[in-house]
Amino acid sequence: MARMSPNTVEEMYDAVIIGAGAAGLSAALGFYRSEAVNELRERGVEPKVLVISKLQPLRSHTGSAEGGIAASLGNIEPDEWQWHYYDTVKGGDYLVDQPAAKLLAQYAPETVVNLERSGVAFSRTADGHIAQRRFGGHTKDYGGEPMERAAYAADRIGHQILMTLWQQCVNYGVQFAEEWYVSDLVLDDWHDSRAAAATESTAESSSGSGERRVEGVVAFDTHTGKTHAVHARNVLIATGGAGRLFHTTSNSYDLTGDGMALALDAGLQVEDVEFVQFHPTGLAHTGILLSEASRAEGGILRNGDGKAFMADYAPEHRDLAARDVVSRAIRAEVDAGRGVADPKDPDGPKDCVWLDMTGIDPEHMREVLPQVLETIEMYGGLDPTRDWVPVKPTAHYTMGGIPITVDGQVYTVTGDGDGVRTSPVTGLYAAGECSCVSVHGANRLGGNSLLDACLFGTRAGHTIAANVLADPVDNPMADDGADTGDDTDPVREAADARADDVRALLGTVTPGPENETAGEDDNVDNMGGTAAEESSDANAYQVMDRLGAVMDAALAVITDGDKIDRALAEVGELREQAAALASHMDAAAFNQEITAIWETRHLIELATAVLEATAARHESRGSLYRTDYPKRDDGHFLAHSMTGRDGDVDWKPVEIVDIEPRQRAY
Amino acid sequence: MSDERSDKATVTLRVARFQPKAERERPARAGRRERGGSPFGGRRGSSSPFGGAKRVRGRQWTQDYRLELSPETTLLDALLTVKRTVDPSLAFRYSCGHGMCGSDAVAVNGTPTLLCTAKIRDVAKLPSSFPGADDEGFRKTGVPAVVETDADSVTGNPAGDADGPLDLGVVEIAPLPGFAVLRDLVVDIDKMLDQLRKLKPYLIADGVLATTVDGKVDVFEYLQRPEQLKKYEQLTNCILCGVCEGACPVYSGGEAFVGPAALINESRFVNDSRDYEHDGRLDMIDTADGIQACQSVRACSRPCPKGIDVGEEIWQLIAQVRER
Repeated sequence: MARMSPNTVEEMYDAVIIGAGAAGLSAALGFYRSEAVNELRERGVEPKVLVISKLQPLRSHTGSAEGGIAASLGNIEPDEWQWHYYDTVKGGDYLVDQPAAKLLAQYAPETVVNLERSGVAFSRTADGHIAQRRFGGHTKDYGGEPMERAAYAADRIGHQILMTLWQQCVNYGVQFAEEWYVSDLVLDDWHDSRAAAATESTAESSSGSGERRVEGVVAFDTHTGKTHAVHARNVLIATGGAGRLFHTTSNSYDLTGDGMALALDAGLQVEDVEFVQFHPTGLAHTGILLSEASRAEGGILRNGDGKAFMADYAPEHRDLAARDVVSRAIRAEVDAGRGVADPKDPDGPKDCVWLDMTGIDPEHMREVLPQVLETIEMYGGLDPTRDWVPVKPTAHYTMGGIPITVDGQVYTVTGDGDGVRTSPVTGLYAAGECSCVSVHGANRLGGNSLLDACLFGTRAGHTIAANVLADPVDNPMADDGADTGDDTDPVREAADARADDVRALLGTVTPGPENETAGEDDNVDNMGGTAAEESSDANAYQVMDRLGAVMDAALAVITDGDKIDRALAEVGELREQAAALASHMDAAAFNQEITAIWETRHLIELATAVLEATAARHESRGSLYRTDYPKRDDGHFLAHSMTGRDGDVDWKPVEIVDIEPRQRAY
Repeated sequence: MSDERSDKATVTLRVARFQPKAERERPARAGRRERGGSPFGGRRGSSSPFGGAKRVRGRQWTQDYRLELSPETTLLDALLTVKRTVDPSLAFRYSCGHGMCGSDAVAVNGTPTLLCTAKIRDVAKLPSSFPGADDEGFRKTGVPAVVETDADSVTGNPAGDADGPLDLGVVEIAPLPGFAVLRDLVVDIDKMLDQLRKLKPYLIADGVLATTVDGKVDVFEYLQRPEQLKKYEQLTNCILCGVCEGACPVYSGGEAFVGPAALINESRFVNDSRDYEHDGRLDMIDTADGIQACQSVRACSRPCPKGIDVGEEIWQLIAQVRER
């Protein structure tokens, strides 16, 4: 096959998976390894499944995860899943749905063992078991001593997991459409939803009319520049996080919150998006992640006076307290004038602190932290065996996302408090960082993200497989025309509308003189066929850059009402700029600007929801610290925010079954 | 990553650009790219099914971008600055920005590397100091010894005058050799992935998976001692960027060869104590276009961004195949 992409797009898919990171690939594997699919195949029915990814295989950001994946394997010291459960709930500052966290902890060993049995090259104990290391917030005996729970592969666990999942997908013959960008999520009320968006009114009319159903997606093939109407009975969104909301981020350039924005665009809600984790140790101003493993292996944070300050903030767990605690401590040191400048920018702001890894044996460092070492050498120009390394909190993980049940089912919420009502969106699923099953609450523990993505991805794959078994597209027993009922095709309509959009983005280009004679020895320096000389106008990359600066200033580590209001106004201006963006070349094929424009619009859509949700939560909890509401307020806000496109926030009570909220200290 | 403000310098990025022809098919011309890429030559006019990169027709030209930046800046950050401030139409792949995702392999001054691991300081060259010779001292034929910097070149900021910042010279950036160019620096890597897929690149063991019963798993992990892991651990770090393939004269020269990346990934399983298919895998690669096509040039070793000694590993694999 010349390309991995499908030669023809099927009439109707059993399932379409958007995203090919840990969650999307786990879902595909969970699907193909399920009993339901075995049964289908025994009946001679081959399910039609397509994984659509805006990236090539193996480029997904899962590959950048470094430290580990948490599970109570007990390979180093005896461990209990109940301890992991407790740590997860406490780590999330009690904004965790406990039934989901219970599943997370209970099924973690199975998840990790199956990754190993699929091929992951875990680091090993001397007797050949999976090696485990300490990680922030993971303790023994319900909040006691820190303990080794993160299974690891040097400091490249994400890369190992991504490779292995993809390799097994090759084994199972999973079909991919690569470098296709999903531009629209299409539900059956596409018409109403669009009308509502156009008038900026709420989509109450549609949400009030009972359950909605997924019809498919519109996907843009970046190689050909063509839009495709992809019909599907089941759609899984697994597009990852949204670190690119911020300028200083550990996330890849592709983490633009597409899935969450697709849900908002379709008139659905996002849950708890005000909770964004800032990882304490980004490499100075680059934002590049230095794994928590660097502290787990003995690294110590020091302020400008050389003092190991974490003892003042978390006397027991010190440098291995939960990430929100450490990030706030760094910020407090900086605000107290004890920060240091990035040595690469000596006259710049003193907004960093030191990470002192000189106490780690150099040999051991090379053994267990090769990636951290390489990153510091390459991008910091320092030798961590001798030099202290400047670090600064970096936007790392979105705890919130598209609300899902523990089976991956997307739902919406109406009403508040006791009158709250949830309605599933039939056929629509989500998994991984773009989703919120609420195992992370207000702050995620290290090692729990890969676990969330792999476990709940697999579960969603099983759910979809059961759906397909009940009613496969390729069903020899089906009546002719069983699918009809009405002859409108919202996916086709949405695809046509998107194709018009592409033409509009290209249409403003005034083609230059085609330079047909550009031959081998010409050093042609014009932009023939493009209009980039007129580069005084805005482009998507600039708007994204400005958005990152606005969001950094407003929400990084600490915030308050004034900052949020200012940012909302600025994002409003950026929204207008983004609406006016157009391509600087006239061809749609391999035109990276088109997807960049859509990504920019997605980021702005999501940024607005994040700011609105932050404004609505008048308390400080987990990763969210508001100087104007510095205390946690369980009386009013032990609830998940549910934010829609219109900025309205509904509240859904937290599910508490075992662990009563109490003061959180490390 | 663009925050570095230490002593600025000017640099000229000389980028090979390509725009595919959308509709009309025109006879292909030999372009700069074939000549400028692998020193071992592309297979101009070849129509072999394995014949290097398949040719996509379109318009090619080179474009100079003059920027003022810190010499510590990576090429990726420099090109992102171009996209943001000069020319948003310039196409190149990138994702993580720190050498983990493998998206951004290109040829820099003819040598395959990743954009995000190459620093301007290390790759910019003053044209006059290297008249017509490349890194290895080879002199390209048919090219002017010094390429004039075009006065009309698109600039990020007004070109520095004589008293301005230090001029670091020129960096030549071209698509990864051995792969068909799709647009600008974006190449088609499907051939590499297809070659890999044919070699069963997944662990083949008993296939039993764990399930949870009463909060406990019913099977455990396969045991593997640290010294067994060491035999293949580094091979698992391959990010399939294609740099070794572009450096391999056999692969990028268009011979029928499965390529170093596929062999490294096969070796990863050959040396994994958990895998059942050890012998079958050695059989699979013992073919004319498999390991037999490797000429042990070892050009593949030096540029690996993950530090894998690709040539040595393939040599070990050849030894294992022979000793069977």
